[in-house]
Amino acid sequence: MSARRGSRLGDCASYLFMLVSFAFFATPLLWLLSLALRDRREIYLGVARFVPNHPTLDNFVSVLTNSAFPIYLWNGLKLASLSATGVLIVALPAAYAFSRFDFRTKGLWMLALLTFQMISPLVIMVPLYRYMSRLGLVDTHFGAIMVYVALSCPLACWLLKGSIDTVPRALDEAAMMDGCSRFSLFWRIILPLAVPGVASVFIISMIAGWSQFLVPFLLLTKTDLMPIAVGIFTFQGLESSTSTQLLAAACLISVMPAIAVFLLLQRLILSAMTAGAVKG
Amino acid sequence: MLPAAVALGLFYLYPVIDVVRLSFTDATLIGDHENYTFSSVINALSSPRLPGVLLATLIFVGGSIAGQQILGLSLALVVIRGEIRHLLGTTVLRTTALVAWVVPGIAGGIVWQMLFSEAPFGAINSLLRLLHMTPVAWLSNPAMAPWSAVIANIWRGTAFSMVVMYAARKAIDPELYEAAEVDGASALQRLRYITIPQLRPAILVNMILITIQTMNTFDAIISLTGGGPGLATEVISLYTFNLVFRNYDLAGGSVTSFLMLLISLTLALVYVGFLPREERS
Repeated sequence: MSARRGSRLGDCASYLFMLVSFAFFATPLLWLLSLALRDRREIYLGVARFVPNHPTLDNFVSVLTNSAFPIYLWNGLKLASLSATGVLIVALPAAYAFSRFDFRTKGLWMLALLTFQMISPLVIMVPLYRYMSRLGLVDTHFGAIMVYVALSCPLACWLLKGSIDTVPRALDEAAMMDGCSRFSLFWRIILPLAVPGVASVFIISMIAGWSQFLVPFLLLTKTDLMPIAVGIFTFQGLESSTSTQLLAAACLISVMPAIAVFLLLQRLILSAMTAGAVKG
Repeated sequence: MLPAAVALGLFYLYPVIDVVRLSFTDATLIGDHENYTFSSVINALSSPRLPGVLLATLIFVGGSIAGQQILGLSLALVVIRGEIRHLLGTTVLRTTALVAWVVPGIAGGIVWQMLFSEAPFGAINSLLRLLHMTPVAWLSNPAMAPWSAVIANIWRGTAFSMVVMYAARKAIDPELYEAAEVDGASALQRLRYITIPQLRPAILVNMILITIQTMNTFDAIISLTGGGPGLATEVISLYTFNLVFRNYDLAGGSVTSFLMLLISLTLALVYVGFLPREERS
């Protein structure tokens, strides 16, 4: 009897905690939405008008017809998708090698990868900026993409190794017996079976690329090259308190693609992450 | 395939290694002349701004990791409990926390600026005014601003800890809990004697990861406070950025970026020291 009452009390406590943390996590984005839907006058009413009396989509229209914004969005998409592709090209062979070949220093290499993860992009950017400007790669998307790829690589290798590990080795042996070359074994058998993991690494890299700020902020100085994250930062600098609703709309537009992709593929992404985390 | 794979591994490992090497050597280079000298190291380390920067970093990193670890663990445990007891809204809560996590850092900073702002559109202060309470100078009071940055960072970063803690808690053998139940252990005792000790390696690994992430956080701070008011929230990453790209002091920036690396590494080693021996490998 008392155990039952105890767990009911526990349920109440859980609900209370859930409610408070839900409010903490949801409020900021709801507030952003609330501001983005207001017109200029209602901005000054603060929380008293959480649901605007005259909700309007004008702010979104005016942000999207602002000449620079579609370019920011397109650049963001381009950088994110090309760099995610690049990450796969560079990380897949390495992950395959880590998963399938046994060499003595393997553990050390895997640890080294993790160490690179510790290095701040800023630390890399300090010397890299000089390199890039000498090579003429400043203000090119190619240069920025290369840096994105390098930054996402260590994590991608870890996660991809985890997903290739789940493909049974017996398949390799069977295919080799049938005269399959290493490359076609990788291309025709392992890759198709590791698709969920590969896809989630692609998505994770894309989301990371979409949010990337520091690299494009330093390397891309021309407005027509800037991705969305740098775009809204520039926009914030130009903004005055009379145009907060526009900034909110711009911010929401930049946030939505990442959230939408994440919500659609949540299960896939989480399973790849937890598989990597538990093993790592 | 092996040589190709190793070559590719080297192909991308090499630039990174080279970059690390450069950040070592650059620490003693000055401008374009590139004379080797120690004076830049000494100047950078004796800069009167450095203590303030380190204090801001300490508050920001310490507050963030404590908050994210505790809240992340609590969330994970509540979500698991919710799943077992079929409580309503468990999935909604988990998803909401994760959504905050995919918000780009810049956007996160802007969002929180709109919440903390003392202008009429600042959510928290306008709520306080509505309740006839005095508004708080979240971002303009130098003593308050670092903590505001911590709150914003906890909002954005907690989901990561939640995912790691969730996975680790699921990996604990259920028999342990059954045995504890038979022995009549209370919920608190189960938490203290089973969950926490079993989670210890995962907690330490998570602490390493979030410490590094927070040390490297730059975008969320620059769009929230820009380092201000004054220099109250100028954390080491922002300071390094300002040195190199605003003052063109490449040498000084290299010194502080190396310092940053050193701090991360030291903290990571300290955490590893706490790991139980068999987990070290």
